[in-house]
Amino acid sequence: MKIKGFLKDVTGASRVTKARLNAFETASAVPETTDPIAEVVREWHPAKFDVVVTAIRDASPTAKTVRFERVDGQKLPYFYAGQFIVLDFVIGDSIISRPYSLSSAPFEAREGKGFAEITVRRSKGDGFIADYINTDVKVGDTFKAMMGCGQFYWEPLRDAKHVVALAGGVGITPFASMAKEIAHGTLDFDLTILYGSVASNDIILKDELEALQGDKVHVVNVLSGDEPDWQGERGFLTADLIKKYSAPDTTYFICGPQAMYTFLREELKKLDAPARRIRFEVFGQAKDITAFAGYPQELKDKTFSLTVMRGIQKDVIPAKATESLVVALERAGIRIETACRSGECGFCRTKVLSGSVYVCPENDGRRSADKDFGYVHACAAYPTSDVTIKIPIE
Amino acid sequence: MKFYKDHYDVIVIGGALAGLSSALMLADKGKDVLVLERHNLPGGIASSFVRGGIEIEAALHEMMSIGEKDNRLKVGKFFDDMGVDIEWLKVPEAYHASLPGLEVTLHPGLETFAKEVDAAVPGTYQKVLALLNLCNSVFDSVNELSIHPMSKAKMLIKHEAFVKTAGYTTQEVIDSFDLPKKAQDLLAPYWIYVGSGFSDLPFTIYSVLMADYIGYGSYIPRKFSHEMSLKMAERAEAMGVQIEYRQHVDKILVKNGKAYGVRTSRGDEIHADYVISSSYPNKVYTAMIEPASEVPKEAIKMVNGRRLSLTAFSVIMILDDTAEALGIKDYSVFRGDTMDTDALYKDLAGLGPYRYLTCICHNLGNDTATPPGTCSYSITTLPRVDGWKTVKAEDYDKIKHQVAEQMISDMSGYLGVNLRDHILEIVIETPMTVNRYTNAWNGCIYGYAHTMEDHIIARLQTAEAESFIKHLEFSGAHAISGDGMGPAVTNGRKAAKNVLDTMAVEEAAAK
Repeated sequence: MKIKGFLKDVTGASRVTKARLNAFETASAVPETTDPIAEVVREWHPAKFDVVVTAIRDASPTAKTVRFERVDGQKLPYFYAGQFIVLDFVIGDSIISRPYSLSSAPFEAREGKGFAEITVRRSKGDGFIADYINTDVKVGDTFKAMMGCGQFYWEPLRDAKHVVALAGGVGITPFASMAKEIAHGTLDFDLTILYGSVASNDIILKDELEALQGDKVHVVNVLSGDEPDWQGERGFLTADLIKKYSAPDTTYFICGPQAMYTFLREELKKLDAPARRIRFEVFGQAKDITAFAGYPQELKDKTFSLTVMRGIQKDVIPAKATESLVVALERAGIRIETACRSGECGFCRTKVLSGSVYVCPENDGRRSADKDFGYVHACAAYPTSDVTIKIPIE
Repeated sequence: MKFYKDHYDVIVIGGALAGLSSALMLADKGKDVLVLERHNLPGGIASSFVRGGIEIEAALHEMMSIGEKDNRLKVGKFFDDMGVDIEWLKVPEAYHASLPGLEVTLHPGLETFAKEVDAAVPGTYQKVLALLNLCNSVFDSVNELSIHPMSKAKMLIKHEAFVKTAGYTTQEVIDSFDLPKKAQDLLAPYWIYVGSGFSDLPFTIYSVLMADYIGYGSYIPRKFSHEMSLKMAERAEAMGVQIEYRQHVDKILVKNGKAYGVRTSRGDEIHADYVISSSYPNKVYTAMIEPASEVPKEAIKMVNGRRLSLTAFSVIMILDDTAEALGIKDYSVFRGDTMDTDALYKDLAGLGPYRYLTCICHNLGNDTATPPGTCSYSITTLPRVDGWKTVKAEDYDKIKHQVAEQMISDMSGYLGVNLRDHILEIVIETPMTVNRYTNAWNGCIYGYAHTMEDHIIARLQTAEAESFIKHLEFSGAHAISGDGMGPAVTNGRKAAKNVLDTMAVEEAAAK
């Protein structure tokens, strides 16, 4: 065979080797240490950083807005309106993480020194971190934070230009962020927020939201309680009410308590909106795991033994049947990284080496191959026997 | 608390395909191995994720070097030998080429492929088949010589095609076949998977690419590339490998020119006889070796003298209707408004609009890819890092959306369907996404470009001289075999083999 001629053909290997050596010989000996791609990543998704509380104000008679800045003087990361922050709370020997939708806007994180805000309502007994924030957190307190989490944001390539937000309780926060960003002119869609509350003094961020009303932001408060002087909409967020504020092509964003999700899933069916136009924020940690289909009721009062492997380190801790593996680990002071705490993000991906667990069907966001090999998202998995797990070393 | 043993035989930095292949091979030989992976799951970009309850492939289009169950190629055989039991699905066609004046679907099998090219460009059968046979001959030689090296004189007799094409570019060899332009175009679409224009791509690499993909077809795992990565990791652990996730290696510890351990960002100092790095040599030699004084000048000149290959930009969508209803007919479509690979390569240094797109509909290769009534559709280009290196954080989101919008619009035009009216979920992967999850240098997924100055044959010839630090091996797209998931496995095995060979030599010397 012949490509160009015998001699040229057979000397190819030595030719290319010489070319290589020559390229290295003439190359610079100065180390190139910068990675500009990684620099952009650091501004969007930095590793956990320290934040300090710079202000706290009332967002309603029962809710507070807490403002943070970065401790190291750098700007907070970019994020999309609707996303959440994860804060680590050191309480006793435990580090407990919680996700909170940011109620501040992306532009506020980058202007001047930059700040981020969360708005948290005092709980009715089931959220001790929410109570901790409302009663114990003070200006000057510091926390570790991670930002830019979650999929609950308006995506211009996917979502309609007309958005109806369906909010309940503290679920108003992602929409407050969107409304601020729209009013600032850096996010472009029409947002109508239907905000359901029991009483007018339950309405969180009432004045701030009303001040944002304009061409593109509309806030409609809907009261379900009996309040004779109320001039606005009444009742629940029913299909009829939602229809009244919808355009022919509308994307619905839903964020609120779990009971509201159950109610709205039925109401939204009546609208004939395509599935791609309906976007629920994650469900949150199940309030009562025993209420889900298939939960083994006979085990609900049990406490099991949970063996935890981190590398070759082995620890044995108790784990209640009605509490997720994450809660058992946090109670025992064993660090596990979490973000959404709804089974979706997979941060707390954990291998079950032996024993059995119940996975909350509402929060099962696992990969199919992971299911085959006994992986769970520990925030959504509940022990149903003594269990051995392997988790990352933190 | 003690998380690690006092000592390991080998520490592998990175639990993606290359690192896990190294670990499997070393464990198979009874070595005590620790794998440190920065993410919380194995695989690097060979992974999947779940959005809106639907699992989505992160990166894999087509896996090469697998082969039929009873006639495995080297990667498929390695998985079988290691007991990594993956459910492989054969991709139905090679590709559909959508090029100026050409809409042709081509299938694997050298003769089948040549016949189909002939049907589109009559009178080319003999020449196309001869070119493919030449590729196949080079491919066989590469595979054999990687196991049994031999003298140059002997090589010329037994591996004539390999030797005689070694010094030529792909274009030079194709030109010698005197094919009409349209036939040449139909032979070019896979170029993007090796990332160089034909005037600079070694024919050796083109041969391996064509013979492997066209000769034997390509495969995907049923449960996405995460099935492959996870099964490798599970098998490695069953063989005694310790894998720790979320562990970021900051430093490789070196003394008297020899690696002896690593330090992680949480401060663990872990010792081993050998270190295998999936981190790019660029990062290792400029930031990871401790002390930095152990890095010779030649190592810096080497990384500076090489050109980074491609990164990835992918728009991945879950659509709210079936492929059939949306008029999507092929598993893979390669679409370009030219097939001039050199011009396209030049364009890839910019930020778009990109003129060469690869579109994959997983449902047409995997009937369980998405829930009934939906399908997955991805549009990918593989840009060079150059353009993306100029993007500032404040412009990132805007540019990312502009590029994605253009790609969706191009393919909507092709399909005659406005894809934007069907998006259930959308994820835009960028070079930054790659860097975020894998820490790959510059977000580069393809290692160093296959060029005439960085030829695979030269890489093999100079490998020993480029081993600047003893007991430190490299495993990943940046290693000798280069880019792609199949070569990643080969690279991982090669690194393990180097470790085993050195162990054997040093043990013999000690006796």
